Amino acid sequence: MDRRKFIALSAVAVMGLTLVPAVQPAFGATKLEEEVQKRLGVKLSQIKEVADIKLTAPTIAESGANVPITVESTIPVDRVEKLWIFVDKNPVPWIADVSFTPMNGQVFFSTRIKMGETSNVRAILKLKDGSYVMATKEVKVTAGGCG
Amino acid sequence: MAVGTGILRVPKEAKKGEIIRVQMVITHPMTPPRKDPQTGQEVPAYNLTKLDLFFNDKLVSTVNMGAGVSANPFMALTLKADESGVVKIVYEDNKGGKWERTAEIKVS
Repeated sequence: MDRRKFIALSAVAVMGLTLVPAVQPAFGATKLEEEVQKRLGVKLSQIKEVADIKLTAPTIAESGANVPITVESTIPVDRVEKLWIFVDKNPVPWIADVSFTPMNGQVFFSTRIKMGETSNVRAILKLKDGSYVMATKEVKVTAGGCG
Repeated sequence: MAVGTGILRVPKEAKKGEIIRVQMVITHPMTPPRKDPQTGQEVPAYNLTKLDLFFNDKLVSTVNMGAGVSANPFMALTLKADESGVVKIVYEDNKGGKWERTAEIKVS
């Protein structure tokens, strides 16, 4: 009896062992990473977070249909080329992009966006020297606003 | 209000070199592509795609956007007021609609 039990258990254990690698998901790029790669041409992991960008958004938004966000930066506008706004978990993570010229005077953009669920909002700046910097803020959404 | 109606607001007067805020609200449904829940048919997206901000006919900023911007989009940008002139926004949607609005500013 003990021997049979042992054999059965070991069989289960071996099966489990062989199954483990198959269960592990192939770690593919998320939608956000694909979108960033497509629009910016760089990987998200290559963009570093800086404190020079101020991304203002509510911590808790009661409606995801209308989330006010403001992006400001102390980086001089003549060093900045473009701004992108992404929401991680939206069906389409890309929200908008804005190009700046020295006539803007400063880096400033404010709008209202839709958010499907609680997620990070990202503001990514492309500088004239070709580097990318980013600011991230999490917004909790109590009622989704997509559709 | 009809689709495409816009309000463009800038201060009437500014000092030379001052950074002013240009605010706008545009009436537009901004719907993403979706399936109609009753008929199951695909409803195409209807949203603004592009907005250009001009100052005295010089391009200042271009905003490209998708359906992720809220309905009746509000937007604010800044502008360095170096001379008196006309602030103009030109915006278009993915169904061929194109509109523009202007506002004047006096710089002293």
